Amino acid sequence: MAKKSFRQALNEALHLEMARDPRVIMMGEDLTGGAGAKGVQDAWGGAFGVTKGLLDAFGPERIRDTPISEAAFVGAAAGAALTGMRPIAEIMFVDFAGVCLDQIMNQAAKFRFMFGGRAKTPLVIRATYGAGSRSGSQHTQALYPIFTHIPGLKVVIPSNPYDAKGLLLQAIRDDDPVIFLEHKMLYDTVGEVPDGSYTIPFGEARVVRDGKDVMIVAIGRMVGVAEEAARQLASEGISACIVDPRTTSPLDEDTLLEVAEKIGRVVIVDEANPRCSVATDISALLADKCFDALKAPIKLVTAPHAPVPYAPNLEDAYIPTPEAVSKVVKSIVKR
Amino acid sequence: MSLIEAVTIPKWGMTMTEGTITQWMIGEGETVVRGQEILEIETTKVTNVLEAAAGGILRRVVLPEGTTAPVGALAGVIADEAATAEEIDAFIASYADRLGTGEGGEGGAAAPRTVTVDGATINLLEAGEASEDIVLFLHGFGGDLTTWLFNQPAVAEKMRTVSVDLPGHGGSSPAAGNDVVSTISSTVGAATRDLGQGKIHLVGHSFGGAIAARIAASDPTRVASLTLLAPIGLSKTMSRDFLVDFIAAERRRPLQGVLERLFADPSKITNDMVEGTLRFKRLEGVPEALSAIADAIADEDRQLQSIGETLGALACPVLLIWGEQDQIVPAPNAGDLPANVELRIIPDVGHMPQMEASSTVNDAIIENINRA
Repeated sequence: MAKKSFRQALNEALHLEMARDPRVIMMGEDLTGGAGAKGVQDAWGGAFGVTKGLLDAFGPERIRDTPISEAAFVGAAAGAALTGMRPIAEIMFVDFAGVCLDQIMNQAAKFRFMFGGRAKTPLVIRATYGAGSRSGSQHTQALYPIFTHIPGLKVVIPSNPYDAKGLLLQAIRDDDPVIFLEHKMLYDTVGEVPDGSYTIPFGEARVVRDGKDVMIVAIGRMVGVAEEAARQLASEGISACIVDPRTTSPLDEDTLLEVAEKIGRVVIVDEANPRCSVATDISALLADKCFDALKAPIKLVTAPHAPVPYAPNLEDAYIPTPEAVSKVVKSIVKR
Repeated sequence: MSLIEAVTIPKWGMTMTEGTITQWMIGEGETVVRGQEILEIETTKVTNVLEAAAGGILRRVVLPEGTTAPVGALAGVIADEAATAEEIDAFIASYADRLGTGEGGEGGAAAPRTVTVDGATINLLEAGEASEDIVLFLHGFGGDLTTWLFNQPAVAEKMRTVSVDLPGHGGSSPAAGNDVVSTISSTVGAATRDLGQGKIHLVGHSFGGAIAARIAASDPTRVASLTLLAPIGLSKTMSRDFLVDFIAAERRRPLQGVLERLFADPSKITNDMVEGTLRFKRLEGVPEALSAIADAIADEDRQLQSIGETLGALACPVLLIWGEQDQIVPAPNAGDLPANVELRIIPDVGHMPQMEASSTVNDAIIENINRA
């Protein structure tokens, strides 16, 4: 099977679904490299190269470069979704959701409920997230806890190219607003991705690897960190199972509980800040529902409660590392 | 000279590079007979038990439980009483040198390739010595060529082997047309004709058994032997539930429950097996393709294929192997089978004898080939 990058996998999903469904349109800043200006169109394929080639294939009516106003184009996309389109709005950095949170939180997320279930809002908001790119604290946050907290939104955080394609296709076909978060440091990661269409259902965790001594729960880029930790631990005779929830809303509670009950030791790795986070949420779930099966305290490995630093050495220290995960695992696995 | 035999980490399937010793089933100093289960090894794909390739005494455990080591690494030493401790030490030392030179490591792992016949793409994996005749492995409903990961390497030590993804499965394109069984068997037959002019020994599992029978019927002079594992088409009944539930299971937990019905011991199922099956089933068009095949296999509780007459008309050796605990395709009564067909039942095994009792099955395949 062909190996493709995370970026290619997303690009393929967009091409396939726009070809299949004429209702799919895209809106965002610099999707085609500056509409209305002189010069080469689509030179970069968007700020991160994900939308490359879409302008040529589907034209400016369906691939819409917007002014720099998230409030305007996210609101427009939500409205278009209500009328039967399947818009994909791209927020270049999820941090910018700050200027259009009303459109997301008070409008799109509420339509289904406030209109008596008679309105569908098949809106996808794609955005990059995450630290590691030396982009400073306004372009690097992992804000999925905020969206996960809001009923009416679905929140998707792929960790690898295969999942990225299948989850994006599912997101576009879903009838509810979906926040689709792409870690910028994952775009160049490579994995096996089928050429054709396939969808991965939401609320379906992936068991990344089997193990019997500890369950490591990880999301997005942290899955790779957990895998590296698991390799280190395996060489020391500790067998780690890794569970990737893939979507934080809906959350696959059944798989988390099943594996936690079987293994009894849990470490949750999360790049987001630790207060009111997905890590604390899953920790509370497990403490509530399978306390008797636990053999050790649930441990969290997260970023500190601080903005992402700009200084490279501090940014590196901010992000959970495989070594930090291994150390915490060893603190609860009695040998 | 005393007998000293190495117990090494085996290579189960192309992608296996290392294995973890999960359990030694015998202790140092205990006697083992050839074929006895001695070592449980876990890989990312599968957990399986290694059987002793030689009888003797387990004189030394080199890799203790919990260690992970590359394919070909020395896990233990079986020797007779005459071997001295010094001889065994020297053997272990020589083994370390051998591994260092690359022997027993990658071992020329083959990768699958695709061939095109009549506009269809067939994914296949070749392995083994160059020989005029080939052994052709045909998997069952919903499977792919990796179902033979414990078998193809063993048979490849004797002969040239080819395993294929049947049309509509794995890396092969879907079968077109109304009569899927005919389409699949003629496509596979054509694909293998391009591989050589010699005879073919067919090994088929479940639905693949019916495909093997069709190929044999259409070209009897070319087929040298048939070894069929729990094939469809020999008893009148079977439950359609498995086929329907397999197609319907879109998520990990329900699919795990469906796959468990295949094995006498469900702990043989790994997460990668479930994930791999889900990835196949998610592809656009696959559920429809599988439904078409399911409709050709059984209606409510009646089998729709019949291969008894075909097998009875063949002049070549025909061996049937069945797991005693098979919950999917019931074994026929030996008395109802044509006289030229031999039936062997393996105890404590379900619908997947090729994985659950791989050594027994491998020996039987080679024995049947040698009878031709």
